[in-house]
Amino acid sequence: MILASRCFDLVCLLLEPEEREAVQGDLLEAGESGWQSLLAVLGLVVRREVDLWRHWRPWLAAFGLALPSSFLLMGFSLSVSRAYQQLMDAPIHHATGLTLGPGLMLFLCNVLLLAAWSWTGGFVVGSVSRRTVWVSAGLCFAPCLFCLERFRVESLSRLCLLLFLPAAIWGAQRGLQIVRIRRSSALALAVGVTALTVPLWTSSGAWIPNWALSWPAWYLVATARRG
Amino acid sequence: MCLTGGHDKYHNVALTMLGEFEYLLITTAAKLGNEAYGAAIRETLAATTGRKCSIGALYTTIDRLETKGFLKTWMGEATAQRGGRAKRMVRVTPKGVQAARSFYEAIASASRGASWAINKARVPS
Repeated sequence: MILASRCFDLVCLLLEPEEREAVQGDLLEAGESGWQSLLAVLGLVVRREVDLWRHWRPWLAAFGLALPSSFLLMGFSLSVSRAYQQLMDAPIHHATGLTLGPGLMLFLCNVLLLAAWSWTGGFVVGSVSRRTVWVSAGLCFAPCLFCLERFRVESLSRLCLLLFLPAAIWGAQRGLQIVRIRRSSALALAVGVTALTVPLWTSSGAWIPNWALSWPAWYLVATARRG
Repeated sequence: MCLTGGHDKYHNVALTMLGEFEYLLITTAAKLGNEAYGAAIRETLAATTGRKCSIGALYTTIDRLETKGFLKTWMGEATAQRGGRAKRMVRVTPKGVQAARSFYEAIASASRGASWAINKARVPS
């Protein structure tokens, strides 16, 4: 009975505060037992979740963005890490401690691009479907765990795969908080992201599917609020 | 039976047909008046239909009807009987009354002449 009551309290936390209060009161008033109450609330929680997934937004956020972007951003994180390693190993760096030139510029562009792609992707995931963000987060982390397990590059740390995560989590947090950004900010971000991809066109490491990571930035422009 | 909003080309009236459970819920809430809230609706529904209604079905249907504009809900008072928890009060809107009336008339009209339909004229007093 105590177990049922504790489970009931835990499951109730999945409901919105006002609904939780009404449901708990109703079940208490009806004099339902602990297990009956638990089943009743579980039923409500399941119905609520199913209702959410009847719309296109959770599907877009989870399977159209979080899952594929996770793989692409891990690949790009690895690419940036390798570029950094090559930059640090360059003979001129060893000789003078300075490395300037097109290699450094490309590297900086890629770092900014990684941060921008990750942030905008996270923001769109957070804002498009706030109540299913935990599913999107799961679908983003699952490939990370899969790849971390199979990572076999001795010269690089496994954590290199996760370089995109801080910016993505920050973006998702902002997306949950503000939902939409101003059109001018969105436009500046999208133009910036697109401009940062230009140096990649000429580099040998460019990979066409990565261009797909730019659409969240333009989605933000399309859905931005005016003023 | 569940017809969503549409338009009847023969009568030129907007149709807003409800589902069976939606109709039962609106009717029960209308009968309860100022005392319409989750637990009371469940209890009345169980007494009138002989079927127990789950909390999940009740609250998701209330939300759906509120989205359609057939119900209005708000948080009411808390009572000791409910462990100090507030009630989610329910009120049927004029649009909800109209939808329930349309549903009732459609059912009554469709049932006319059916062997199981009660013909008031033939019912022995």
